[in-house]
Amino acid sequence: MSRIHDVGGMQGFGPVEQEADEPPFHADWEAHVFAINRALIGRGVYNLDEFRDAIERMPPQEYLASSYYEKWLHAVTTLLVEKGVLSAREVADG
Amino acid sequence: MGEAFGPGDLVRTSHEDPQHHTRVPRYARGAVGTVVEAHGDYPLPDDRSRGLPAEPQPVYTVRFAARDLFGEGDHAVTVDVWQHHLRRVDRSEQESDE
Amino acid sequence: MSSEHHGPVAAVAARVRHVEALLEQRGLVDATELDQALEAFLTSASPANGARVVARAWVDPDFRSRLLANANAALPELGLSMGGGLQEQRLKVVENTDHTHNVIVCTLCSCYPLALLGPSPTWYKSESYRSRVVRTPREVLKEFGLMLDPSVEVTVWDSSAESRYMVLPRRPDGTDGLGEEQLAALVTRNGLIGVAAV
Repeated sequence: MSRIHDVGGMQGFGPVEQEADEPPFHADWEAHVFAINRALIGRGVYNLDEFRDAIERMPPQEYLASSYYEKWLHAVTTLLVEKGVLSAREVADG
Repeated sequence: MGEAFGPGDLVRTSHEDPQHHTRVPRYARGAVGTVVEAHGDYPLPDDRSRGLPAEPQPVYTVRFAARDLFGEGDHAVTVDVWQHHLRRVDRSEQESDE
Repeated sequence: MSSEHHGPVAAVAARVRHVEALLEQRGLVDATELDQALEAFLTSASPANGARVVARAWVDPDFRSRLLANANAALPELGLSMGGGLQEQRLKVVENTDHTHNVIVCTLCSCYPLALLGPSPTWYKSESYRSRVVRTPREVLKEFGLMLDPSVEVTVWDSSAESRYMVLPRRPDGTDGLGEEQLAALVTRNGLIGVAAV
């Protein structure tokens, strides 16, 4: 089934918003999500294709409303639970 | 798995709209393009994302005319496609599309 | 409105700290390792790398040929590589000429030559850029201030597999007297992506 991430050619998204002198991460938590994901893939907890798949499985409305690293966080927590590394309850009790 | 292609070959991408992860963008499904080059062998993401065994297979850079993808545009778009998702097109088959 | 310490941003930050703490307990991440990896990534990966490659290609035609034929093999000549990430990726450098212009995208996610350009800008990863540049590239380039002559052919490269793309912009006119370092200083990240002339 066509997934929401597959936006090439899709219409209606509006002008490309550019931010001058943009920092690589807009908050510490973004940098941590980036690093955590790399560490988990490096350790073989999941692979890059599974990671992309987890982002793509986000409900469309949530995908479009999420910032880039929010999508990453969603994928990381989804996979940690699906792979049995953490329980859903543990992740939620934050 | 399919046959090997070389630069200049006419190929058509799969029409498949799978329920799983794939790297063929929707806008390039079923489109006819020209192979630019082979760019190495890699395991199929469709399988890797599902925990299935995936032997490396050729990936090709394929050039499409924008008009063939979107019905408009004077530019070209290239997409990198796994061999699994490509079939050779005969020139006669391509002409019958026009 | 909401300060940094309340509201949705704080909630996400707390969630990340929580998950990281759980992973540390499991021995799957280490805070020091994370910091070191981040620092290594941010210091080594930068558009200055891509700019050096471009400047060398401008002054050395043989390097340019090698770069266009096999970019991964040419990078070590400048002490650069596409490694340092999860896996070494294939680099493809695509050259702008007086009749062709190239622009890079990853419509499906955000694939980007991190080693040579550093972290990608948010706009590159936006649905707006990803959806529009494959369909109406000239319109998008205009938004970036780049007007192409109608006779220039545009090619959009969608990074849908393991190759990462970088544009080799045209050397600007009137730069004959400049040395490599000065030439590299002319090259912008936007030029390496293809949304600027250089």
